[in-house]
Parts: sequence; C-alpha cells; structure tokens
Amino acid sequence: MSIQNSILQATDLSLGYKKGSRSNVIADHISFSLEKGKLTCLLGPNGVGKSTLIKTIMGQIPALKNQVYLDTKPTNSISIKDLSKKIAAVLTEKINSANLTVKQVVSLGRIPHTGWLGNLSVEDQQKIDKAIQSTHINYIEERSMNELSDGQLQKVMIARALAQDGEILILDEPTAHLDLINRFEIMHLLRDIAKNENKAVLVVTHDLDIAIDTADEFWLMQCGLPLVCGSPEDLILQGKIDLLLPNDRLHFDKSDGKVRDSAEFPYPHIDGPEDMVKWVKLALRKNDIGPEIISITIKTEGSQIGFYLSESTDIRKFETITSLITHLTTLAYNRKK
Amino acid sequence: MRNKPTCFLFLIGILICLLLFAMNLASGSVLIPIQEVMGRFVGGEFSKSSWETIVIGYRIPKAFTAILAGIGLSLSGLQMQTFFRNPLAGPYVLGVSSGAGLGVALLIMAGSAFGWSIYSGGFGIWAVVFSATLGSILVLLLMSLTAWKVKDSMTLLIVGLMFGSAVSALISVLSYFSGADQLKMFTIWSMGSLGSTQPDQLVAFLVAVLLGLLPLLVNLKSFNAMLLGEAYAESMGVNVHRLRWAMIVSTGILAGSVTAFCGPIAFIGIAVPHMARLVFKTGDHRILFPASALIGAAVLLACDTISQLPGSAQTLPINAVTSLVGAPMVIWLILRRNFSKEF
Repeated sequence: MSIQNSILQATDLSLGYKKGSRSNVIADHISFSLEKGKLTCLLGPNGVGKSTLIKTIMGQIPALKNQVYLDTKPTNSISIKDLSKKIAAVLTEKINSANLTVKQVVSLGRIPHTGWLGNLSVEDQQKIDKAIQSTHINYIEERSMNELSDGQLQKVMIARALAQDGEILILDEPTAHLDLINRFEIMHLLRDIAKNENKAVLVVTHDLDIAIDTADEFWLMQCGLPLVCGSPEDLILQGKIDLLLPNDRLHFDKSDGKVRDSAEFPYPHIDGPEDMVKWVKLALRKNDIGPEIISITIKTEGSQIGFYLSESTDIRKFETITSLITHLTTLAYNRKK
Repeated sequence: MRNKPTCFLFLIGILICLLLFAMNLASGSVLIPIQEVMGRFVGGEFSKSSWETIVIGYRIPKAFTAILAGIGLSLSGLQMQTFFRNPLAGPYVLGVSSGAGLGVALLIMAGSAFGWSIYSGGFGIWAVVFSATLGSILVLLLMSLTAWKVKDSMTLLIVGLMFGSAVSALISVLSYFSGADQLKMFTIWSMGSLGSTQPDQLVAFLVAVLLGLLPLLVNLKSFNAMLLGEAYAESMGVNVHRLRWAMIVSTGILAGSVTAFCGPIAFIGIAVPHMARLVFKTGDHRILFPASALIGAAVLLACDTISQLPGSAQTLPINAVTSLVGAPMVIWLILRRNFSKEF
C-alpha cells in the first residue's frame, strides 16, 4: 500500500443526517483509503449506510464527524463543480429517454469541463470517443436510450462517467437487475478500467461471488461495526468475510467461496467422481433426503451417466438425478405412512 | 449538433414563421390580400392607405405580441418539463398562470371589493405586469416548496392542479364581491387577447421576455444535465438548488408577463416543447431552446390567424383557440405508448 496511490482518505468518519439540532448517525468509525489503479468493492446488507457513505464521499451530504480528504484536501472545501471533475458516478436512477442517443448521454459527461453553452472541443470529443471505446459500445452509439437492454444501459452510464474523466469512479449497484453474464462483464470492465486507466473504482455491490473474483480491495460494512478493509483473499482467510452474514445459520465456505448452510447434513455414502458427487449431494440436501439410504454410486459410461442406488436387497439404476430424487421422495413418503 | 438536418429544419421553421407572420397581418375583419402584405415587406406601397394604418398601427404590434407570447410560454414550459422531469408540466398545469390571474384579479377587483381603486389607465399596464408576475412567482414558490418536500413528480403535478383550483376559487370570491365594471374588465382579460398591446407596451413586453430568457440562457448546460435527473446533475457539478431558483424566476417572469399582457393562454406551454422534441428528435436544450421558441411563435401566430375567423368580422378569444388546438395535441401525446416513462 503506497501512499502515493491513495487518492481519497478518511479516519473515524461518522455518517448520517442532521435534522435541526439533532443528528441521526447512520454509521460511524469509518476509516478508509481509496487507491488508484484498484477495484474496490463496498459490501454490506441493505440499510447499513452504503449509499450514505457514497453521498458523503461525493460531497452531497457533510460528514457528522471528521472529513473525507481528496488528495489531502477536505472535500467540503472543494466546490461541487471542482469535485465533479475528480469524482464521476454511476447511480441507480434509470435513464430511458427516447430523446437522447447513447452518444449524447456520454457527451453529457463532459459538462463539468465545457464552457457555459457546453460546446465540445476536440479534446472533449477525444475523451468521449475513448470512453465509448473502452466500454465497447461503439455499435450502439447512435441508438436512443429507450432501445437498450439493461446491460447496455449500464455500460452507457459507465461510459458517461468515464467521459467525465475524474480520477475516482463510484458506482452504486451497477450490476443489480443484470443477468449473470452481464454481471461478470460489467465487473471485469470496471477492473480493466481501474488497471488500464489508473482510476480508483469504488463499486457498491451485493454480488459476493463476482466481487471476490474481480476486486482488489473489499470494504465490509456491518451495522454498528467499524468499516473493515482489506483484500478479499485476506478477509476470507481471516474469517472476516463472515461479517456479511447475518447469523450462524449461514457460513462462508473458504474452500470454494460460497455461502452455505451451517447445519451439518447427514449425507449417505456416495461413490463416484468428485464433481458429480457434489451435485447429487446438493439435490439430496434440498429435498431433505438423508441417511436412510445405504449408498449411491455414480458411474460414467461414455456420454451416459448412471446413478446406482443400493437398496437393502437390490441395486437400481437411474439416468438422471431428477428420477433418482423422485424415487427417493416416494420411498420416504411411503415409509412415513 | 450543427448537423445538416437540424439546420435545414430551422430554415424551414423560419420560413413557415415568416409566412404565418404575413398571413397574420393579412387576416382580420378587413382582409388584405397576402401579396399586398408581401409587397409592403419588400418596400412597396399598399393600394389603399387605410391598410397601412391597420397593418402598422394594429396588426404588426399584435403579431409581435403573438410571437413574444409564443416564445415566452413555450420556453417556460420547456424549463418546467425538464426541471420536474414531467412531460405534463407547464405554466398552466402547475398553476403559474392562475397565480398571475390572481395577481391581476387582486389588482382589478380587490379595489372595488375593498372600496378603493388602483387600476385607472396610464400606469395601469405596468401595474398589471407587476401584479401578474408577483402572483405567478408566489405560486411557483409554493410549488417549489412542495417539490422540495416530495420527490414524486406525479404528486407534484396533482398539488399544482390543486393550487390552480384554490387560486381560481380565490378569484371567484373576489369576483363575487367586485363591481360590474371591474368584473367585466377581468372577464375580458381572462379570455386572453393579443391585440391590446400598444407599441410602447410591446417594448416593455419585449424587455420582460428577454429578462425572463436570461436565467434559461445562462443555465442551458445545466438543463441538459437535468435530463439525467437531479442526482446525476449534482454529480456533474450542477448546483440544483440554484437552478431551481433560476427556473422559478425565469418561468415566473415569462409566464407572468405573457399572462399580464395577453391574459391566460392555455396549452402552448405544454404542447410546444413536445412538438419541438418530436420535430427535432433531440433532448439537447441547445437545440430545443431555439426550436421551442420558433415553434411557439409559429403556433401562436397560427392560432391568432384562426381566431380572426378569416372572412368574418368576428374574432374568437385566443385562449379558446389555443385550447382547441392544444388539448387534442396533449391527449395524443399521452396516448402514445410509454410517453411518461420515455420522456
């Protein structure tokens, strides 16, 4: 962690809103250092104050205690106009105006840099083109905003933020409402932007899986606890990632990075290739079929998979997990009767 | 933005405007052949000297009033629609015109209701402008206060309609207690008229409209940022709070002065910005601003020409004509799919 790369810092920040003389503290003991060239993910349950933290960083609401420093200058001493040249954002608001084309929306990102009429210089045009290039949206440049899919829309908003050309990029849940492929694509795009353009990218997300795969740095927010910062790998090994889980019923599986039910499940004996055993176990667990079975053997014959169930006397073969489970549930039902 | 189709559209718009201007000068209770009007434009003489008096003394001020009123109303509508991010916002729907009406009603009728008289010719028109502007700014202030409290634009619209109704009720109360002369004066004012401005008042009107345009001109870029909503605008360095005030002052002066000089004129403020968006197919205010002004001027010139009922000595109140043209337009816009979502 070199100090030159840190662009935004805060120590023991308190966040919240002031109503008259009373202040409503939403989160405190927030200390962080946002670094250039890194993708940072802010994770935490709903309502913990992630949006408040972002608004505070963007200078839209003042911190209740201490301040956020941008390049060692307190952000509340910087005008909102100058701040907008440093920090660009992708927010949750949806833009689907039929009267705006993709290129026009990206060009709007140049607003902090242009004169009063907003005419674009050659440099502005170059920045716009570059933003469109790096988000790979050239092919939809002339489309109007209401003709885009959610994934394309999000890329356009990221391009707009890139065109704003701040050193810091803040994104509030950019992958919400997106399908799996688009989630991966957006997060990898953000990672590329952080690396290639040396920007500090801060993403609020709930996608733990993808965040672990892409982020350099995690900020974990949990009710009443100080902000926990560190690389995802370290946080996993130190068990701190469990902070994200509300109670003991769930735990974070260090071996494969998945959230699992903590309760022990009495699996029967299953023989076969490990990757296949895993899925049979999952199906058994979901259907609550346990130890009453003696054993299952999985065999592959060419492209065919066979599931062999050893019952008290004979062995039955099933071709799919579904047929196996159907048989077992019927058995369990009959036994109960 | 300086692409060919846009320039071409502006050129056509200007030509249509000129044609409508000439038609407007030609029509009225005395029909002057349009080629005579065109001839006078390029330096010729009218074949009857009375036509000169009619055109120069009456119809030209009226046509310019129509142009100014069209520009003023369209541009206040444009600002409000963008600011509130609501396609139905406009000086009429949000009660600004009613506010101006209340100002004028107080000026004309409160005197007789309370037993004194302010309105007596001479400086009268200035008093009307002043009170109408004050009235409309008052309503916009209330609206802005509401806008500050509620984020939902539909709620805001309903509150605006309620303000309009409440203000109309106040005007009814005033009318009930006022004298017959004042009541008549106010009723005639409320039907709208483009023909009551004298050349010196026209200058005042021009100054008021130019003044009202200033806050809009200064903030064109910020209005573009507002297309993405307040939060995005703020992240791009737009001071939304200041912009809200600029919008209040600008629409107050524009809609207020139009209402003061011409009486209430409905639907131009809502319909014209949409026509501009449809024709020019853009959301960019650097284009929409001149486009709305041009279309606004053209539409009001056309409405005024229709209201002259060419060929008859009768005229219709301008407010009735704009409503008859504007209401179907707005209904059509609402019936279009996803109109409110994709605005």
